[in-house]
Amino acid sequence: MAKYLIQRLIYMIITLFIIITATFFLMKIMPGSPFNNLGGKITEEQQALLEEKYGLDDPVPVQYFKYLTGIVRGDFGVSFQYENRPVTDMLLERIGPSAELGAQALIIGAVLGIILGMIAAIKHNTWIDYTSNIVAVIGISIPSFVFAGLLQYYLAVKWRLFPVSFWESPIHTVLPTIALMIFPMAICARFMRTEMLEVLGSDYIELARAKGVSNGSIMFKHALRNALIPVITVLGPMTVSLMTGTLVIEQIFAVPGIGEQFVSSINTNDYPVIMGTTILFAVLFVVVILIVDLLYGLIDPRIRITGGGKD
Amino acid sequence: MKNRNWLFLLLGLLLAISLVACSTGGDNSSQEDTEEEEGNTDTDTVTEEEKILRISSTSDIPTMDPIMTEDNVSTQWIDTVYEGLYRQAPGGEIVSGIAKMEETEVSEDGLTYTFHLRDDAKWANGDPVTAQDFVYGWQRAVNPDNGSFYGNYLMSGKIKNAAQIFAGELAPEELGVSAPDEHTFVVELEVPVPYFDSYVINANFLPAHQEFVEAQGDNFSLSPESILANGPYKMTSWKAENGWELVKNEEYWDAENVALDGISVKVLKEADTRLSNYETGNLDRVTLSGSQVKDNQTSPEFQSLNEASTFYMKMNQESAEKSEYMQNYNFRMALSKAFDKQAYIDVVYGNDSTPVNYFVPAEFVEHPETGEDFQTGSDLLAFDKEAAQEYWAKAKEELGFEEVTLSFLSGDTDVAKDISEIMKTELEKNLEGLTIETVNVPWAQQLDLMRTKEYELAVSGWVPDYKDAISFIDIFVTGGENNDVGYSNEEYDALVKSAKNELALDPVARFEALQEAEKILLEDAAIAPILQRKTSVLAKNYVKGLDQLNPFSNNYSFKYVDIEK
Repeated sequence: MAKYLIQRLIYMIITLFIIITATFFLMKIMPGSPFNNLGGKITEEQQALLEEKYGLDDPVPVQYFKYLTGIVRGDFGVSFQYENRPVTDMLLERIGPSAELGAQALIIGAVLGIILGMIAAIKHNTWIDYTSNIVAVIGISIPSFVFAGLLQYYLAVKWRLFPVSFWESPIHTVLPTIALMIFPMAICARFMRTEMLEVLGSDYIELARAKGVSNGSIMFKHALRNALIPVITVLGPMTVSLMTGTLVIEQIFAVPGIGEQFVSSINTNDYPVIMGTTILFAVLFVVVILIVDLLYGLIDPRIRITGGGKD
Repeated sequence: MKNRNWLFLLLGLLLAISLVACSTGGDNSSQEDTEEEEGNTDTDTVTEEEKILRISSTSDIPTMDPIMTEDNVSTQWIDTVYEGLYRQAPGGEIVSGIAKMEETEVSEDGLTYTFHLRDDAKWANGDPVTAQDFVYGWQRAVNPDNGSFYGNYLMSGKIKNAAQIFAGELAPEELGVSAPDEHTFVVELEVPVPYFDSYVINANFLPAHQEFVEAQGDNFSLSPESILANGPYKMTSWKAENGWELVKNEEYWDAENVALDGISVKVLKEADTRLSNYETGNLDRVTLSGSQVKDNQTSPEFQSLNEASTFYMKMNQESAEKSEYMQNYNFRMALSKAFDKQAYIDVVYGNDSTPVNYFVPAEFVEHPETGEDFQTGSDLLAFDKEAAQEYWAKAKEELGFEEVTLSFLSGDTDVAKDISEIMKTELEKNLEGLTIETVNVPWAQQLDLMRTKEYELAVSGWVPDYKDAISFIDIFVTGGENNDVGYSNEEYDALVKSAKNELALDPVARFEALQEAEKILLEDAAIAPILQRKTSVLAKNYVKGLDQLNPFSNNYSFKYVDIEK
């Protein structure tokens, strides 16, 4: 187990290194410069001065090396767009609301989805099953910003039950959370139902029933555990995409999250912020993948992490 | 039965998890919670004691450092917490600030300005605002180490030694500003600047508290604690991408004439979210965009405010591929007159912006003696399909072509795509044999293409930096930094040059020279004017003093805003 972990950590560092290098050089190919958003009021000399100030006049390999050593020290540089603000501070400030919103939506969505899927499977081919299927299909096919718009219009503007927007107290998080949780809920319900039906029809469940194991014990000890594996597989990447901010939901509900910052930093060629955000996303991603792999083993001993072959 | 117990357990777990998630959120932002409650009481108890103006902003403040500002939002809020020599009253009238305007002395040659500062002006920490603070603030703006964009743009060639300092040839201390005593500030110029009063409104001319700025170092202006105000308001909170709050600055010399107790600004990027917040009473005023304008035009709370910015189509005579065509007068005349400006406004803004045939905005500059508007109007470049087709026929004859393809450069946003579509439709419809190839690319790439001259047509706008027609006219002098259409006319250049030099101290002759220059520009069809823009807003009727836009620098003058319920 320890050996496996160390191996994985080394892989993670290599992956991150490749991502950082690729992003860094790709960005150098991007057209334009961070200083030409000034409506032409900047002269060539000024541009040169600014590039010197931010170290953009160094040869690219030197810039790259400086950047790498900065990262090791936890220094991601300062933003061009937001004068002098350290990127590290900007990221820390912005990841909080995104992560909180994402975590809430994911946990509530996944738990509700799993419950819904289980009930649908147990009440297979009844109206409950059909209803949950319809709910799941709607949830998957309608994008979250449509729900966001509807929720905002009816619950906030028309009926005044919730605040229209802003990110200030738990009550402010209700509408964006609901809008965001519908998709993971629907996905989980779909997977859960399919898997559960398959597992319930398998031999070992039959055997358990024949041995007289109680219904609840069958469901939760045997069926649920095995049916969860595909759900966990999809939950991994979903966690990252939810926690790293969803641009549209953040804009609609004025959540000061990181998704919007990522997009605006690209539009303004704010290199340090683009790099910082990309690295943060990459780190989250590899960590979540690792956790998912470890979880497999916990849930299903059949998947052996020490086996090496399976990854 | 057991089944159900499990369900309850799961539901319980779910509830617990979400509560934990919520409560951690609450802990992190306990400060925010209390503020939010205060905000609520404001709305509930009809601001009898507390007058807080609640508005929104489309973006966070990029910088609160006066010398680093280069955008509307920064400029607006810097103006609100600081005060320079003068300030703008609503609508753009220049009034006394830290300097007493009526006491300002100008030397006969127009090269030396002596400002007399009021002795009761204070920084928010109680220190007096002195002439030395202005000297330091101005030196800061022109110090190349600080990398101010506008400092150089505005000061070089005007304030004595500014250009050399920015080039690193002289020390910042050599700038032509001095403080003979605490309340006297002297500025030496290299050339007369007839529009000096409005010129010094720019944030780069604000004073700075040297001790405070140096103590803050790199943190200066990054948070409310690292900003030292000397203006009508001071900032009390500023949360990234969330919003900021200001309260009346009691140390401000004219605090008794500041009516509001505070201003609360929320960052709202979505137009619909902004409007929803206004409709539910969370905001006192909101700027409308797109279809919102049409939907709300009949509301008694609807207002349309004139902007001092014009938009025009650029016709690039230095085009890498089609310069031969673009340099032809009849060709440009045809293009200028071949599109419906009203249709453009309807498609792009959907509001009551004015279609125009001129370049310098109306209601911007007045005749120094008679007070008449600079802009007398012109119909030379008005939309006229038949006339355009006549010019087009002549151009075809002169250049010997039947079909031609021109590229139209624009951005990749929705508005930019609307712009290229309407221009393509209009021009192709009215000029036979013309094909417009639309190029929609991000802004940075647009600038690259403009630099390499790989475009023929584009739409551009100009917002002035000070209240003078030369802010517009200066763009199109031969070889001018912003003259990216390759326009060149000796007579025009001579008029601009005389306005800057020998006519600088003769306001009437200078005014007329600039009017003449604009006439030449239009007669040459150097550009094709389209519109003078308007901003549409909804505002509660109790909001006073926000019904006019300033023509340059800060859009609004919050010092004079009031809430009268």
